[in-house]
Amino acid sequence: MTGASLTGEKLGRTKPLRSTGGGGTTRRRRLSQPPGLPWILPALILSVGLLYYCIGYTGVISTWNWDGISPNPVSVGFNNYVQIFQDPVFWDAIEHTVIFFVVTFVVQTFLGLMFAVLLHSKVKLAVVYKIIIFVPVVLAPAIMAPVFRQLFAPDGQFNWVLAHIGLGFLQQPWIGQTSTSLAVVMSITVWEFTGVTFILYFAAMGQIDQSILEAARIDGAGNFRTLISIIWPGVRGTTVALGVLSAIGALKTFDVPWLVTSQGGPVYSTEFLGTYIYRITIPLDRVGYGAALSIILLVVALVMAIIINVRGRERDGVTE
Amino acid sequence: MLKSLATKRVGRSVAVLAVAGMAALGLVSCSSSSAPSSSSATSGTVNWWGWTPELATAKSYIAAFNKVYPKIKVNYKQVTIADWEAALRPALASSSGPDVFDVQPGAYVTEFGSFAEDLTPVIKKSLGADWKSKVSPIGISGLSEKGKLTALSVGSTYAGTLWINKNLFDKYNLTPPTTLAQWVSDCKTFASNGVGCFVQGASQEGFNQDTLQSIADSVEPGLWTKMSTGAAKWTDPGMVKTLTIWKELFTDNIMQPGAIGYAQYPDANNDFLTGKYAMVMMGTWYMQYATTTGMTAAISAAGVAGAKPFPILPIAFPDVAKAGHAGYHMYGDSDYGLAVASKSKNKSAAETFVSWLTTSKAGQQVVGNALDDIPALNGVAPDFNTIAMPSQSVQQGPVESLIKTVGPVSEARESLLSSGVQTAILAASTSVASGQATPAAAAATLQAAAVAAGETFK
Amino acid sequence: MFETRSRWATIVLQIVVTLLVLPYLFPLIVMVQGSLAGAGWGNYVAVFNVPGFGQFFLNSAIIAVSVIALVYVVTMLAAFGFSKLHIRAREVYFWMLLACLTMPEVVLLAPLFATDTTLGLYDTYWAVILPLAALQVPFGVLLTRNFINGIPNELFEAARVDGANSIRGFWYLVIPLTRPIAAAIVIFTLIGAWNDYLMPLVFLQDQSLQTITLIPQFFIGQFSDDQTKVLASAVLTAIPEVVAYLALQRLFERGLSAGAIK
Repeated sequence: MTGASLTGEKLGRTKPLRSTGGGGTTRRRRLSQPPGLPWILPALILSVGLLYYCIGYTGVISTWNWDGISPNPVSVGFNNYVQIFQDPVFWDAIEHTVIFFVVTFVVQTFLGLMFAVLLHSKVKLAVVYKIIIFVPVVLAPAIMAPVFRQLFAPDGQFNWVLAHIGLGFLQQPWIGQTSTSLAVVMSITVWEFTGVTFILYFAAMGQIDQSILEAARIDGAGNFRTLISIIWPGVRGTTVALGVLSAIGALKTFDVPWLVTSQGGPVYSTEFLGTYIYRITIPLDRVGYGAALSIILLVVALVMAIIINVRGRERDGVTE
Repeated sequence: MLKSLATKRVGRSVAVLAVAGMAALGLVSCSSSSAPSSSSATSGTVNWWGWTPELATAKSYIAAFNKVYPKIKVNYKQVTIADWEAALRPALASSSGPDVFDVQPGAYVTEFGSFAEDLTPVIKKSLGADWKSKVSPIGISGLSEKGKLTALSVGSTYAGTLWINKNLFDKYNLTPPTTLAQWVSDCKTFASNGVGCFVQGASQEGFNQDTLQSIADSVEPGLWTKMSTGAAKWTDPGMVKTLTIWKELFTDNIMQPGAIGYAQYPDANNDFLTGKYAMVMMGTWYMQYATTTGMTAAISAAGVAGAKPFPILPIAFPDVAKAGHAGYHMYGDSDYGLAVASKSKNKSAAETFVSWLTTSKAGQQVVGNALDDIPALNGVAPDFNTIAMPSQSVQQGPVESLIKTVGPVSEARESLLSSGVQTAILAASTSVASGQATPAAAAATLQAAAVAAGETFK
Repeated sequence: MFETRSRWATIVLQIVVTLLVLPYLFPLIVMVQGSLAGAGWGNYVAVFNVPGFGQFFLNSAIIAVSVIALVYVVTMLAAFGFSKLHIRAREVYFWMLLACLTMPEVVLLAPLFATDTTLGLYDTYWAVILPLAALQVPFGVLLTRNFINGIPNELFEAARVDGANSIRGFWYLVIPLTRPIAAAIVIFTLIGAWNDYLMPLVFLQDQSLQTITLIPQFFIGQFSDDQTKVLASAVLTAIPEVVAYLALQRLFERGLSAGAIK
């Protein structure tokens, strides 16, 4: 059932009234259901049509040596792709993407889960906390970039806070050194995205059967034990979906490293595929090379999405 | 609520997309046939795009222009330099782009020159057959390509100077540095008093380039130009020495901590103008902050309310190599020129505006008085009677002599470098600074980038 | 979820949440504080005085509302189709749609530019609305399909027995019942459309079509960069989104709870 997996029906909980997405009801439904193709057509034309057309076009450009405006691009076959695999900056970008994905995903999952659990408990003013956590999602990274540049500047507010809580020895130019710039990018991303993680976990937890929780409590399970053995498995589907979204997000990362850490700097220490594609395509006008990088990005994103999804669901199946 | 509106829209969009799908494969880029003129030389609307000047300055130019040509309406659209190529390239390729646009010497001339009219006839008409002797030569060479004058220079900027905070030097009884040793000792004194010494936005190629070029000029004057034109290799021992000294600026604590994450604007500029640092690497364009109004506005922009402006002065870049080449080594380019788009429908009005701003005495006087660019037209100088400085007696002399110093300068700043080499300079300078590459290894990457960019070496 | 048995535990819990949430609040404070540095409220006045500020605001609103409307309609139709109607190879179509989530915006620039100029869409609102909507629809369908899955089939079957066709079922069942998830779609689409920077920058040339995200351009020159006014414009840009989120917050949460991605 990998097909419907992102929509994910199966969870370790009792099912409410629902009948779609496989299982025994499928055949009966097919007989009685009216045709749905016309209904999905507008979405397919708009998204699949427009975007796949762009992919195809990009695929063609990726075989050119082209500056983006010259009327006579030179066809170079797969040369751009061959070059990419020998390009050290490309491999740097891949490495950063992997580190970025693993770290931000783990941290966001942890924080999102904690917030969701805590705000499902008896906490006063829960709505205020929820709003504070979610507002960063609403704000554009481009809007927030100057704020974070100030915040992490050598005489910025972050160092100020460190000095005032007795951690003055930790003060450093966070953005301006290769050893900490990636951490800055990751922490900003966590700040921006925890709201989504939180809200989806919060929603998923709302559907965990209260009677199971109560039964566990009666059996003497503490808070920690409940979290590990009931809540965490109960939201696994959400975790997998968030994993896919984070992986895609990591591959597309552009705004924060471009705007906060000086265009993927210093010394390419925050170069990502997104920033590299932009740099190559716009300031360096190597549109063909940029297109080839874009195609590689798409392929990697798709492969990763499928792997995470399939693996995540497999384990889901095993534990059930 | 949204439904009725939405349904209408979706119908239309589907239709549009169907057309898009069909047209997709038969795409041809639109032809560049010259558009018919809908304006005359004294009336019409001109859309001007630039990353510079700032809106207020542009408005003052346009207001002065409209006193002479009231029937030509000029609209100025400012796009930041960071977004310039992303915005301008499609606009010029379409038929709804600007009539007049900024061009910087160097890479942009090659990139956008094909969209611009040859302005030789325009300048000839305005200044006569001997026009070349009437304007700064640096503005012509940098903006020409293959014999075509793609843009007329508005004014020039030169680098090779540091600007210092006079009050801080007086307070700690220090003399401005003329050698590396003195620079280091000045910085020590500042540091022991809790004041920052020198600040640079070392995350940007343009400003690292300036500092490297100044170091190179101290090592061996002329070497930088030779390397830029292929007469010497970027692996020249002089360049390795230059990068070694550059590295020393970091190890000797002249550069501020975290410099390679700093931007010149706003970071370094704000830190200098709010008195946190005593020196900054800026060129002639910084004259605008020597004025009371310019500095007051800038300090407020740096987030400090009610601060008092203080005197700043230009000094020659210190003789860091001690190889016997002390003194001013200035280098510069046209800051920007104005090009007239070939596709413009208001060409004659656009040419009138460009010609007025770049070749008329009145236009160039307005440019000169803004104190960011040195006027392109010979014989026009800023009118210091109209310009107030925090300490006129201390500042006016050095500023005026700086303007005189740059008059005969012919060493190019950026116009000889391709964007590939500029990117490599940023990578080389930051990787040397952070210890990820030795000066020799970094010089080798510069040479490789120059070869890849098509530079040929003897 | 966590049970607190004593008053102390309750207080500790409250303190833990507060400490955890502080880092989220901190940058917001820095933003507002920064926007008031230097010239104080004068920074906001300067932003309001940018020539055409009202027009930019209106343009952003036109684009955002159009994108939301387009996404809403297309998403609802598709989600209903995917969830309750018969489609051969349904999951293939669904995955084709989801694959669009991986598309970075910069990939679209070159192809869209060529197409837009050919069709005369360049420098019109459509050049921004269509791609933005196309990028938002997949996530919307993903959310809404889950939500509609949760509506019992029996409701639709009952309606069909009563002689209602799919269109009536859609109109009288899907539209009213999906209001909570629609709130989520409105929020997410608004974020995507209102905040977008690259598309308006590249595809809208006419100054009277510029969007609000380009306002900071007015304060960043070659020789200056007024961060206080950049932050003031950031705050002003953010306000409509925050207001929209606050207004729809309860509905939004309800929608996600019922149709959460799992």
